[in-house]
Amino acid sequence: MASPLVEVWAFRPLVWNFAQRELKGKYKGSVLGWAWSLINPVATLITYTLVFSTIFRAVPPPLGNGEQGNYTLFLFTGLIVWNFFSNTVNGSMTSLVAVGPLLRKIYFPPFAPVAGGAMANGVQTLIEIAILVVVMVVLGNVSATLVLVPFLCLLLALFALGIGLVLAVWNVYYRDIAYLVGLALQILFYATPIIYPPSLVPEQAFGLPLRALLLQLNPVAQFVEAFRDVVYELQWPSLLQLATLTVLSLATLSFGWWVFHRRARDVSEEL
Amino acid sequence: MSTPAITVDGLSKRFRLYTDRRSSLKERFVRRQSSSYDEFWALRDVSLTVEQGSTFGLIGHNGSGKSTLLKLMAGIHRPTSGAITAAGRISALLELGAGFHPELSGRDNILLNGSILGMSRRQIVESMDAIVEFSGLEQFIDTPVKVYSSGMYVRLGFSIAVNLDPQILIIDEIVAVGDEEFQRRCFDHLYTLRRRGVTIVFVSHSLPLVQTLCDEVAWLDHGRLRAVGPAVEVVDDYLREVNSAERDRLGADSSAGQADAEEGEGDADAGTGSAAGSGRRGSGEVVVTRVELLDGRGTPVLALDHGAAMTVRVHYRAHRPVEAPVFGLAFLHETGLALAGPNTRLSGTATGTVAGEGHVDYRLPSLPFVPGSYMLTAAITDASTTHVYDHRDRVLAFHVQPGPGFQPTGYVALDGQWGRPQPVTRRSSAADDLAS
Repeated sequence: MASPLVEVWAFRPLVWNFAQRELKGKYKGSVLGWAWSLINPVATLITYTLVFSTIFRAVPPPLGNGEQGNYTLFLFTGLIVWNFFSNTVNGSMTSLVAVGPLLRKIYFPPFAPVAGGAMANGVQTLIEIAILVVVMVVLGNVSATLVLVPFLCLLLALFALGIGLVLAVWNVYYRDIAYLVGLALQILFYATPIIYPPSLVPEQAFGLPLRALLLQLNPVAQFVEAFRDVVYELQWPSLLQLATLTVLSLATLSFGWWVFHRRARDVSEEL
Repeated sequence: MSTPAITVDGLSKRFRLYTDRRSSLKERFVRRQSSSYDEFWALRDVSLTVEQGSTFGLIGHNGSGKSTLLKLMAGIHRPTSGAITAAGRISALLELGAGFHPELSGRDNILLNGSILGMSRRQIVESMDAIVEFSGLEQFIDTPVKVYSSGMYVRLGFSIAVNLDPQILIIDEIVAVGDEEFQRRCFDHLYTLRRRGVTIVFVSHSLPLVQTLCDEVAWLDHGRLRAVGPAVEVVDDYLREVNSAERDRLGADSSAGQADAEEGEGDADAGTGSAAGSGRRGSGEVVVTRVELLDGRGTPVLALDHGAAMTVRVHYRAHRPVEAPVFGLAFLHETGLALAGPNTRLSGTATGTVAGEGHVDYRLPSLPFVPGSYMLTAAITDASTTHVYDHRDRVLAFHVQPGPGFQPTGYVALDGQWGRPQPVTRRSSAADDLAS
């Protein structure tokens, strides 16, 4: 386990370069360029706000400073977490297949493109978070709980990367993983309280404790909740919640690392 | 010289050939037990060592495992069994421009590609100007590489590789691409690296190139190591087999052809080798059995100092007494340029009648060649030099190392002498004035 870690450290400029390649190549050739990375979330926010707030009349919880809740901000907070998670999972999954021709010609740790892709997503997420924080400052909805934001971001990154590593390798061997994951992400999006507040979920449904199931057993929901706590409702998450997320993230990453390292070195033959 | 640059020990590599790719989960579950792939051993129990600072060639027919061996050396594949150990940083050039992002500019791709090849960012930024200049693409360096011609693409890729500063360089046939000028640049660069002491391992189907460039050659055949040794010998053996296989193939239709082939084999066994390999020809009455290089004290060597005394010893064996043979040598630079061709006829040396085994020496009191790699061709002809008894092309490669009085340019140090500067005298200048 030690030597691959050393290798990752030695190749860290490469990880960053893969991230740059992703970022620079992403909107090359489009007229609006980088503006697209902001236009997309803004369009999503407007659409969801119209559909769920104006038409379905979802009522967001009040802001942490006591003001009336704002659905768009409520949605944005959840979407930041979700977008990073789903983009990283999707990006990692295809990253090994995408660099396949390269892996057959040059030796480099296959970990690098996966981590580079996650890093590129991280840059996008940081920009979104910066925008959210600026808006919160303008509305006067800030408190000391914001210091937890970097920590939560780190845990989320480790968690998403752990899942991404597993999917990256599996996708090389079984191409149906991509379709399966597309479907799973779609279900997970609606199973996570992003477009609706958790209070709207009935306690009991189909004879099951639905709300507890959705919130407790869904790790992404845990992240969304914790993030909303510290940015939107300005509450400190419980120590238990933070500990759970920490253990969950580290365990996921370790598992992903283990799966990845068992198979990834032979990927160059399978691509 | 003590530790080899690369040690390959009992190396085997197995690939799975999927008859019908088992890439879906359904098949995984449906046919869990049955193996839907065949095994294919690309390499079997290969052991060899590549010495520090040497140039090592891999030859063999298509599918013999050459490229697989390179990929294993480069760390792209893992051995199925056996081990490869390398002493030094390995840079592999299996494809030029691999990993370029079509949408990014040449400059951005230099940064990206350099780091994929293992350069640090500072290293790349420092050599950026040199890379751009070497590529000759100053005008296009900030345009996306997708608009580059394939030649420009490769040039940029090679320019990055030039600045890699490798300890061990692994190359797969890349020098075969590009125009004449580009190829020449490639070779110049390879020779520069070699002089600097870089170990080079490369695959090529160009046998003359392998013979010229390599110190040692390994011949792979269906994944097994057939032979490894001095370049000239191994390439000759390989050629002999290719030629005889071709004769077999051509002769399979006619019994006459079959007879020819057998005759050819017989000759080869007797060591006379009529038209066996491209490196050897002659009628075989007298043959060159061995060529040695001796230093001033008579010790066999393969490397000598510039300016040192040297003796070339040609061992011969006469199958019947031969009257007044002419012994000849040709000194070739590593680029193939013939530098000198001394023979006993030109120097008016009487050789008498040779019979049985013996040797003949050619002495140079002071080695005139500048540091670099050279090759020797040895030949024995009849007195008229028109009938060739034995001609062994590039039978020996040797190195010249810098010694006292080292001359950095050209191929040879001339034995000339400079006079003192002579000022023009007044009288003659007046005469010049009148003349003009």
